[in-house]
Amino acid sequence: MLEILHRLLFATLDAAPALVFAALGAVLSERAGVVAVGVEGMMRVGAFCAAVAALVMPTPAAVGIGMLAGAALAAVHGFLCIRWRSDQVVSGIALNLVALAGGTFLLETHFGPNGTPPIQQLQPLHWPELASVPLLGALSGHAAPTYLALLLPLLLQGMLTRTPLGLRLRAVGDKPHAVATLGLSVPALRWGAVLGGGLLAGLGGAVLSTTVLDRFEQHTPAGLGFMALAAMVFGRWTPLGAFAAAAFFAFGNALRIGLASSAPGLLDVVPQGVLLALPYLLTLLVLTFQGQRNSTPASLGVPYEQESR
Amino acid sequence: MGERTRQALPSVLSVLLSLLVCWMLIAFSRDMDGMATATAAYLQMLWGGVGDWPRFLDGAPATVLTRPLGEAAMKAALLTLTGLSVAVAFKVGLFNIGAQGQMLLGALAAAVVGAHLALPGALHIPAALLAAALAGGAWAGIAGALKLYRGVHEVISTIMLNWVAVRLVDNWLVVGPLRGVAEAGASITGTAEIHPTATLPRLLGDMSRLNLGFVIAALAAVAVWAWLTRTRSGFETRAVGLGDEAARAAGIPVARRAGLAMALAGALAGLAGAVLVLGTEGRYPGTLGAPYGFDGIAIALIGNNHPLGVGAAALFFGVLRAGGTRMQLLDVHKSFPELIQGLALLFVAGRLIWLAALRRRSAPKPATAAPPAPAAQVPHA
Amino acid sequence: MSLDIREGELLAVVGENGAGKSSLMNVLYGLYHPDSGEVSVGGKSVRLKSPRDAIALGIGMVHQHFMLVPTLTVAENVVLGREPTRRGLFDWERAVKEVAATCERFGFVLDPRARVDTLTVGSQQKVEIVKALHRGARVLILDEPTAVLTPQEADELARVMRGLVAQGRTVVLISHKLKEVLGVADRIAVMRRGRLVAEVRPSETSATALAALMVGESQRAVMSNAAATPEEKLASEALLEAVGFPAQGDNARPALRVGEKPPGDVLLEATGLQALGDNGRPALRVGEKPAGDLLLEATGLQALGDNGCPALRGVDLTVREGEIVGIAGVDGNGQRELAEVLTGLRSLTAGSGTLLGRPLKGLTPAEARARGVGHVPEDRLRRAVVKALSVEENIALGRHSGPPFAKGMWIDFAGRRERAQALLAAYDVRPPEPTLPLQALSGGNQQKVVVARELDARPRLLVVVQPTRGLDIGAVTQVHARLREARAQGTGVVLVSLDLEEVLALADRVYVLFEGRVTGQFTRPEYDERELGRRMLGAEQAHG
Repeated sequence: MLEILHRLLFATLDAAPALVFAALGAVLSERAGVVAVGVEGMMRVGAFCAAVAALVMPTPAAVGIGMLAGAALAAVHGFLCIRWRSDQVVSGIALNLVALAGGTFLLETHFGPNGTPPIQQLQPLHWPELASVPLLGALSGHAAPTYLALLLPLLLQGMLTRTPLGLRLRAVGDKPHAVATLGLSVPALRWGAVLGGGLLAGLGGAVLSTTVLDRFEQHTPAGLGFMALAAMVFGRWTPLGAFAAAAFFAFGNALRIGLASSAPGLLDVVPQGVLLALPYLLTLLVLTFQGQRNSTPASLGVPYEQESR
Repeated sequence: MGERTRQALPSVLSVLLSLLVCWMLIAFSRDMDGMATATAAYLQMLWGGVGDWPRFLDGAPATVLTRPLGEAAMKAALLTLTGLSVAVAFKVGLFNIGAQGQMLLGALAAAVVGAHLALPGALHIPAALLAAALAGGAWAGIAGALKLYRGVHEVISTIMLNWVAVRLVDNWLVVGPLRGVAEAGASITGTAEIHPTATLPRLLGDMSRLNLGFVIAALAAVAVWAWLTRTRSGFETRAVGLGDEAARAAGIPVARRAGLAMALAGALAGLAGAVLVLGTEGRYPGTLGAPYGFDGIAIALIGNNHPLGVGAAALFFGVLRAGGTRMQLLDVHKSFPELIQGLALLFVAGRLIWLAALRRRSAPKPATAAPPAPAAQVPHA
Repeated sequence: MSLDIREGELLAVVGENGAGKSSLMNVLYGLYHPDSGEVSVGGKSVRLKSPRDAIALGIGMVHQHFMLVPTLTVAENVVLGREPTRRGLFDWERAVKEVAATCERFGFVLDPRARVDTLTVGSQQKVEIVKALHRGARVLILDEPTAVLTPQEADELARVMRGLVAQGRTVVLISHKLKEVLGVADRIAVMRRGRLVAEVRPSETSATALAALMVGESQRAVMSNAAATPEEKLASEALLEAVGFPAQGDNARPALRVGEKPPGDVLLEATGLQALGDNGRPALRVGEKPAGDLLLEATGLQALGDNGCPALRGVDLTVREGEIVGIAGVDGNGQRELAEVLTGLRSLTAGSGTLLGRPLKGLTPAEARARGVGHVPEDRLRRAVVKALSVEENIALGRHSGPPFAKGMWIDFAGRRERAQALLAAYDVRPPEPTLPLQALSGGNQQKVVVARELDARPRLLVVVQPTRGLDIGAVTQVHARLREARAQGTGVVLVSLDLEEVLALADRVYVLFEGRVTGQFTRPEYDERELGRRMLGAEQAHG
């Protein structure tokens, strides 16, 4: 039993980081009032650029390139939504479509249908002193992103609730005009949040290419960005909540895969498709029964019009 | 500059700009003769979409025209239906990101009715279409109900419903309970083959795959247009979309209008699934890979959410995407037109930039109307 | 235009709505940028690129619509942008202490730990003032600060403002309420149509003279044209008399006999009307018409507000044919909800009533319209019109299901155009273009469209909320005239307005609402503004 749990935890910790980073990126952007539907696209360019960069440079540096790529796509989003007050959902969807088609085009043009050539994955880190402890041992043997994914939610939560910057970001997502009359720049705060969100989403994508897989594949990230949105909603727009939801989804997925190999009989009772649909169904249920109003940033999706002439 | 032109111009310019950017993408990614290759690829795309006129004029049979045109028309039909789905929801102020999921369920319903019901020809097709429309409408209706009764924003709920549909249909129903069994007892991917009575008849026989689905889509576009502009309930729907509080105060049943429009949106997307299954695929394949539902968002916005604009945008991109296959002759992947479409949507998203630029050009004339508000508002309503 | 603000004074800037007061102050606060001209502070020319520059120069502003983040605490709102930190982290305790100290220094009673959305409107305004003072504001600009306050709260605000001036701060008060300005200001600047037309001291002027300066020559012509009924014509003639000889302000006053009320901007023609009555022309005296049939009789009405708390806690109300019933009260005491109940927009939780012959309970907006209830709502762009639709489509809105706007399920384009053109001409809407998007019209013309539509339906009961807010005086006059005209034709009118003077000028009877209850009922001759003010604050029994 303990052995099974250990394996599940290990698998969860291996798979969760990409989802966690993307969900945190979405939280950061949406708390400042900018809708993050484009997270899927940002993950895709992050994954692609990291995989390609890793062909010519050390993998950790390539992850950095992936992050920058995510931020670059976020910058387009910021330009359209903050500078030009475009519809944030439309812009996000457009970025997703461009990233989807553009990724396919570049992949097919330069590498062919089977993805980019394999790259050096990020190296797992081992903690010998932990490895022997039951359950905690599952913490050992992951690549660096896993540990970052455990740390970052705490840092982000602290930033949002305990620092002046966090106070301003929350204020700008709830009532941007109040922030503007105090002489703070609404666009600057939102730009920061959107770019930060892009970096995190790009990191999530890069992690997919460099730890979960060893290349960029045709379908990456295959909807993981939307699951990140689900985690954000499920986690009530807080970093810790989003982390918990993402970890929960990842654990559920590990459980499903574990069941498929160890107890296929069970899957006749509860089909895989139902299990796969579960994160989205749960998110819908949470929304249905808790309503959405109280935790959604009040000015989410509302373009800020500066009262200047 | 007329109001209509002013409305349409950003879309047209966006598409042109996108064509130009993508042309450069090919031109500069080739080591030699980039520009010539890019132009040749565009020409192939054109002939692949509107028919190979040069060969036809050289005496080739008419099928060199009808085959590509039929392909383009069928792609356009699907894009029209999903585009209308998104546009109708927009008109009532909702952002239907869920056309994909609604289309999936419509396709499944059409496949089941087509394969498992035995009906005479005159009834079978309407029954399958109706089932698809109902399935799609019901799936959209969930999002509508969540919005109206629980205040859940439709952008979030339709995204979630898309993935629920994909997982339940592709990963469970189609590979499990509804999986078809072929004649010889060997299993096939996807659901069982539909009966011939449920197959949408081809309009040009063997000359092209053009089938009744195109007519259905064209009729749908005209009907939606007439409904929105000419009827009382269409007026009410538009009023709800542009100002729901004012509509409520005016005695318009806002919830019913929104719910019905959302259900209609789902029904249109469901019809797209039916046209795909009954006209082209013949059954629900293992996975309904084509993301026509997501394309619908692009088509609706490029068509400025006007039913006839949607039809025009769908025709244009239907041609491009039918021609995409022929670009492979020049080593350009067949998904290239999707990139053109995605970029066009991105440029359309910057509608206000276009309007500002146009205003600057016609500076002496003061612009009277304010820029149109973005159609959707997000999560706090 | 140019304006000097001197240190340690209380300068009032008065003018009509749209005279440019707020724009001027937004320039001073760096929110708007002037096309030309310059701002100097302490003799030095400065460029105010953003509120940051203004704050740095010691300029603070309290906006008409509060700029507070409702989900944050008082302390967080006040320190936002200049937060105290400890080792890089936001030091909440110190913020609370600092804000408490500022409150104490200026004599405000506020709990820094309270969340802003739990505070009353008056307290939120104090938070705004503290916010500015905490940033070291030497010059404090208050934009229409009393619009949402009770007379008593307004008095307290006046004390606060005087106190700040006594401490050497400068206060700039923007208002269109002449009486309050005369009572508190050291100096008054009068603006009209973006120009400074006069600078006076309160001791050297009167409300009448100020009003004349505010309205100016051109507007008077508009007013006399706009007055439609004979009653109205006479009224505006009296007005012209009053404002036409500002030098004889004191002579004109007895003729008007408006008691304590100086003629404020929106009630000029109304005070004139009362003067005629007092002058002994019985034909024009209001309230002598025989009471008509009962249109509305309601008892114990209760309803919840948007926030889920009770907004109406037992309101009794009657409205008869041919009378205007005013609903007075401080903003947020249930007036809005009452209007919504009467128009079917809000459901009752308790209470009963008869509206135009059938029960009030279960009323829907469509049902209300069918019974003959017209509605001119408060928030025009949100509730009365759809700004992106054309003018004619807006005229059809609410009546689009029947002739002349529809034939069966189809829209009747020809009938709609014809009716729209007729109404645009009758109500002098400019430009009279039925196909124009409504948002291309000015606010006053939009309101004319709304009033035209509602009255064209020949309502038996008309519910109007804040019908003249934000309109220029010509449009105000026309709207008031149309309401009187409707009354003359037998319509019962329920007038909800936050502007007490407007209510008193138009209404035959007034109900005062406080916290969702009727705390007072007055019939025309016995209006007493102080007593009304007391009732608006909840004093119930005192009046004999």
